[in-house]
Amino acid sequence: MMFKITNKQILAKDVKRLDVKAPLIASRVEPGQFVMVITTEGGDWIPMPIAEADPMRGQITFIVQESSPATIQLGHLTIGEEIFSIIGPLGQAAAIAKAGVVVCLATGVGTASILPICKALKKAGNKVVGIIGAKSKGSLTLEPQMRIACSRLLIATEDGSYERRGLASEMLKDILAAEVVRLVYAAGSVDMMQTVCHLTRDRAIKTLVQLRPAMSCGMGFCGSCRVRVEGKVVLACVNGPLFDGHSVNFEHYKMRVATSQDDEILTSAHSESDATRSITKFFPGLLGK
Amino acid sequence: MTLKPTTQPAQRRIRNFQEISLGFSKKQMIDESIRYMDCVEKSCDHGCPLGVDIPGFIRLVREGDNVGALAKIREANDLPAICGRICAAPCEGSFCAKTVDKNSISVRALERYASDHGRPRFTSKKIITPVGKKVAIIGSGPAGLSAAARLAQVGLKVTVFEIMPHLGGILRYGVPEFRLPKNVLDAEIEEIRLLGVDFKTNFSVGQSMKLEQFLGEGYAAVLLTVGKNSVSLLDLPGADLGGVYYAKEILLAANTRFEERFKKNPTPSIGSKVAVIGSGQAALDCSRICLRLGRDVTLIFPETLEDFPVYPDDRDDSREEGLKIEALSKPLSILADSSGRFAAGVQCVRMDFADANGSGKWEIKPVPASEYLVEAQTVIWAGGFKINIAPLAMGPHLKLNESGSIWVDPETAQTSLPHLYGAGDAVANFACVAEAMASGKKAAMSLRKALR
Ligand SMILES: Cc1cc2nc3c(=O)[nH]c(=O)nc-3n(C[C@H](O)[C@H](O)[C@H](O)COP(=O)(O)OP(=O)(O)OC[C@H]3O[C@@H](n4cnc5c(N)ncnc54)[C@H](O)[C@@H]3O)c2cc1C
Ligand SMILES: Cc1cc2nc3c(=O)[nH]c(=O)nc-3n(C[C@H](O)[C@H](O)[C@H](O)COP(=O)(O)OP(=O)(O)OC[C@H]3O[C@@H](n4cnc5c(N)ncnc54)[C@H](O)[C@@H]3O)c2cc1C
Ligand code: SF4
Ligand code: SF4
Ligand code: FES
Repeated sequence: MMFKITNKQILAKDVKRLDVKAPLIASRVEPGQFVMVITTEGGDWIPMPIAEADPMRGQITFIVQESSPATIQLGHLTIGEEIFSIIGPLGQAAAIAKAGVVVCLATGVGTASILPICKALKKAGNKVVGIIGAKSKGSLTLEPQMRIACSRLLIATEDGSYERRGLASEMLKDILAAEVVRLVYAAGSVDMMQTVCHLTRDRAIKTLVQLRPAMSCGMGFCGSCRVRVEGKVVLACVNGPLFDGHSVNFEHYKMRVATSQDDEILTSAHSESDATRSITKFFPGLLGK
Repeated sequence: MTLKPTTQPAQRRIRNFQEISLGFSKKQMIDESIRYMDCVEKSCDHGCPLGVDIPGFIRLVREGDNVGALAKIREANDLPAICGRICAAPCEGSFCAKTVDKNSISVRALERYASDHGRPRFTSKKIITPVGKKVAIIGSGPAGLSAAARLAQVGLKVTVFEIMPHLGGILRYGVPEFRLPKNVLDAEIEEIRLLGVDFKTNFSVGQSMKLEQFLGEGYAAVLLTVGKNSVSLLDLPGADLGGVYYAKEILLAANTRFEERFKKNPTPSIGSKVAVIGSGQAALDCSRICLRLGRDVTLIFPETLEDFPVYPDDRDDSREEGLKIEALSKPLSILADSSGRFAAGVQCVRMDFADANGSGKWEIKPVPASEYLVEAQTVIWAGGFKINIAPLAMGPHLKLNESGSIWVDPETAQTSLPHLYGAGDAVANFACVAEAMASGKKAAMSLRKALR
């Protein structure tokens, strides 16, 4: 069973949108779930959320950020080529209900995960405020789709090249001051999610964060995605990837995002603007070696 | 010792993932079958969980009729070439009078020989009168494959649903290539396909389809053979440091990545010194995979070397390959490196038999003040295989055993839900392929009766 690429777009530097024929997955997937993608037999397994699903055309959409050999290989596929294997849908779907004002924050590839959640929340009658954090206008993805999916969309670019200058988490402060926010979703870099949880914990606002630990199987077989939530170690692929942000042990999670030295270098390069600070803070050992 | 096959020399085989044992010569096999014929007790006749007619097939090997011998084995065993290579072989078990002097009959070797040399020239699609009833089997491991074969043979329409891209379960994604080549596995699966069994891969039951949907779509019954689909978490201090992996992550990578790429830079990445914790086949397989990556590997387990539950040849072959074994040693904690984020070693304590309370009951106890460090940047936890039924979305009424495995009626293999049956590692702890297959066969026999 192969999965044919039906459409491809280049959204930003190193970021591609792929539409893939996968009828069964398209008809079953729910917001917040992901799939495991194996581009070619013998290659790495990549956990990938489904940004959009069209059950009519039996099609699902990935947003691929080319930052590892595996995602580069996936991003270079062309229309008509086939993906060897896609396993899923996997993980727990987001619990969508009418809550009132809901804020959804995303940075980097997190936008692809937050988009379907925003759509479902809006459809359920919520007022959805979307906040996207990007390094620059050039690295911003899915703006048009997010504008449609959210009641209101705010964008923060670290270099100020588009709309507001600054961090997504700073814009959240303004929204929390201006609106009665019932629920917050956050997907993206560890720093952003940790800052968001810090802001919402004081105001006792329920916050769901999408954890992306290293995932080797995505089906609960291998134990690589273990994270600590409410003091218990659980598997993010089977029990998540969305978790109650206030119960997540972020120090433990940072250990689980990059479980080896070379992943470490790649991961830190993608965290939110204060990446330089996190490089020195995280692993003096590595630099000292 | 049981008959030793000719193998790749240790120095060469630790640089590749090709099959270690190159099989047995005709002469070895004929002599071994003669030796068996002279054996009086024949207590190994009923040692096989699948009920293979051991004297029957060995007599045919002795007469040089390998095709007949394989046909005889196939009467009870649907994966002969696989069992002939990796079965834990309870048939050569401890009850054999000859194991006292360590040379019990190599029934497994004879089974492999018949399977490798007894293939009929051309296999035709079997003509079976269909019975019209549909059965769904969830999981294509040995239990599922064996049940599928037994049900298809009586004309039931069998579809096997498998979450992975390929079939075989642990036979493909657990057991390494050097013990069970994938082409041998594929050939045995092809035999089952010829019986009319339909296979659907990349299909995750519980997500792609729920139990009631199967029944709604006209399946008369569903058989759950999902094996141990989860892990119990290692609760040693330092167990979540970077570089601490669980067995199935390493086994999955070794069994799915191209060998050359995997040897150059394995994902997940593996340090130069590796410590493997755990006893049993998975621990040994992970150790031998790392040896083939040129790593310095130490295997740590609390039992004695003799009690290490694997086929003796595997244990001896791995020591020849340079594996350092720390028997009677218990890991206490995993130490971090200077960054505090990655593993650097395993703190262990020596264990020994002690009659602690003078009751004459000798138990394995830690030896006081015997703690020592095994240096390792990569630590592999090779234990804790367990089942998690949550992803299967079978609803709250599915009765479980104490250990979390699925309860089944010992006679009918039926679970607590109507039309739902269970077999293999999902219902009990079979550390043996033949026992898992026998469990699948029993469920199939019960299903055949129920669907007549
Ligand atoms: C639930 C979930 C949703 C994801 N959504 C997307 C998505 O929408 N688009 C996308 O391109 N990628 C997504 N990823 C991550 C994806 O698996 C790739 O690792 C990622 O695309 C690499 O690009 P990055 O900039 O996100 O790198 P980072 O996520 O910052 O990580 C850099 C490196 O760390 C390692 N790493 C990080 N996360 C993982 C992981 N989850 N599994 C294995 N290795 C990892 C990889 O080697 C990766 O190259 C998701 C992962 C998970 C678990
Ligand atoms: C590393 C290792 C080495 C071993 N070596 C030996 C050996 O040398 N000799 C020996 O006798 N025994 C050995 N064993 C034990 C033996 O392999 C197992 O007992 C046997 O494989 C169990 O078979 P099973 O069919 O019950 O389960 P499995 O082989 O685990 O098969 C279960 C199948 O179900 C699939 N599945 C799970 N969930 C779903 C789902 N939701 N939807 C669809 N499909 C699903 C899985 O992908 C898998 O393919 C070994 C075990 C391990 C782990
Ligand atoms: S090989 Fe062992 S078990 Fe078999 S007949 Fe001879 S003594 Fe008995
Ligand atoms: S299947 Fe296993 S137990 Fe049965 S005869 Fe073969 S090796 Fe012995
Ligand atoms: S990724 Fe393998 S258990 Fe979650």
